[in-house]
Amino acid sequence: MALLEVERLTVRFGGLVALDAIDLAVEKGQFVSVIGPNGAGKTTLFNAIAGAIRPSEGLVRFDGREVQGSPSARMSHLGVRRSFQVARPFASMTVRENIRVAAAGKALLQSLRCLGLRSRDRGIAERVDELLETFGLARLAERKAGELNMGELRRLEIARALSSRPSLLLLDEPAAGIGADGIGPLAQLIRGVHRSGLTVMLVEHYVGFALSLSDRVVVLDEGRKIAEGGPEEVRRDERVIAAYLGKEGSRSTGTNPLGGGA
Amino acid sequence: MFLSSLIDGIATGSLYALIALGPSLIYGLLRVLDIANAAGLTLGAYVGLKVWRATGSLALGIVAGIAASAVFGLGLQRLLYRPILNRGPLIPLIASIGTFIAMEEAFRLVFGPYPFAFPAKLGLPTLRFGHTVITGVHLVILIVGLLVLGLTWFALRRTRLGLYWRATSQDMATAEAMGINTRGVVAAIFVIGYALAAVSGILLGINYNTVYPTMGDIPAYKMLAIIVLGGLGNPLGTIAAAMLIGLVETFVVMYAGYVLPRDAIAFIVLIVILLARPQGLLGRSRKAA
Repeated sequence: MALLEVERLTVRFGGLVALDAIDLAVEKGQFVSVIGPNGAGKTTLFNAIAGAIRPSEGLVRFDGREVQGSPSARMSHLGVRRSFQVARPFASMTVRENIRVAAAGKALLQSLRCLGLRSRDRGIAERVDELLETFGLARLAERKAGELNMGELRRLEIARALSSRPSLLLLDEPAAGIGADGIGPLAQLIRGVHRSGLTVMLVEHYVGFALSLSDRVVVLDEGRKIAEGGPEEVRRDERVIAAYLGKEGSRSTGTNPLGGGA
Repeated sequence: MFLSSLIDGIATGSLYALIALGPSLIYGLLRVLDIANAAGLTLGAYVGLKVWRATGSLALGIVAGIAASAVFGLGLQRLLYRPILNRGPLIPLIASIGTFIAMEEAFRLVFGPYPFAFPAKLGLPTLRFGHTVITGVHLVILIVGLLVLGLTWFALRRTRLGLYWRATSQDMATAEAMGINTRGVVAAIFVIGYALAAVSGILLGINYNTVYPTMGDIPAYKMLAIIVLGGLGNPLGTIAAAMLIGLVETFVVMYAGYVLPRDAIAFIVLIVILLARPQGLLGRSRKAA
């Protein structure tokens, strides 16, 4: 059974149809990318899955349960975590506190235990140390998150999403704003996260980056799913190339906008 | 003389801090100036007084006052603030002021317009060291005030709730996405904020030996001055500002006499400091995101 199933998911903002009857399924352990030109509805899809916006129509099934319209805190407790396209750290808290605070337990436990001492949270503290280490943030642990540079913020964003041990990770343009030399190491980190057994969905504007990581790729254009398949299949798909060329026609037309072979 | 003024000033300051801390925490979360918190203060004082009269136990009165105020605060948050929170800052502010005025009229209707005496014995003797005199009531205010402030500081810095409060006050949507039960955090902070108001109301009532429908007026505008002075939404700044205003008031009265109404001093301090530091004592100028 698929970990995540989305059926005829539709999101309208007033008269604008941002997502039009999207179907997709993500199997446990898969790495699925969602690509598409600007305004294709990629982030809206994530928002609808993660509970940040309520879909107008359609179903979202996670782990066999219907969850469409659930608030984001509930999605987080069920095991769906996300990173944001524009990094949104708690700027005046330290890097360690940013990861720590995101490791909060279920709502009921939180209410019962909220007056407990933070120093008692041994298991969580170990988890936080482990993430600081993995994401190269250990020496920045006591710095305020507001002082980090873009690359560090990107890593914090992912580490924070992982702190509650989710089963599905949604990464919204994790490479946005970092230079070309930062992309390789970031891809390495994300690959590591996936290999540790996590199911990952990635929204990405850098198509080459997305294709190199994915088992499967979903292509959106103007709110519709226009293609789906393995990375190579999608790279050669006429509709996909047309969608990208149509939107970014300023590029030299002779080359495939999705890049050459991997 | 100096020493007893100093102690008086600190006692006054801790009372102000008790009054202003709840609204400061609430402002941090919701960006609403919770004027109606001062109605929680009056409610706590009335219920505390009535239960003390009926049972003879001040402890029971305090618990009942806290409970009544906390229930009122929680109800206010659920029924009033939650539905109108996303309509911009002005609407909740005016709703809050309206609630405060309505509650004052309700107190007048239920308890009558005349002040009640609140001659509860707090059980501490008046202390004298040479010229320094501390009355029993002031001693209690001092102890309770510093204790509660210490506990609040501890809760914010060392408990999970403190961590959740800080995250939620910085970015509620992200806190929510990171699995923080932000509704629970807001509810907990309203309970704490209105409990503090009830404690201050009872202390005020005993200190001045009077409880009356509009006893929340002066606390309402003074807490406003203190919260702004401390840097909006910064609880430690609120405590510092409360202490500063308590001390300045006491020393101005002490050395200059009543050259101007005592309660005007808070605003003069506010204006002078805001001219130099528009972001308040401990507030930071907002960085671009």
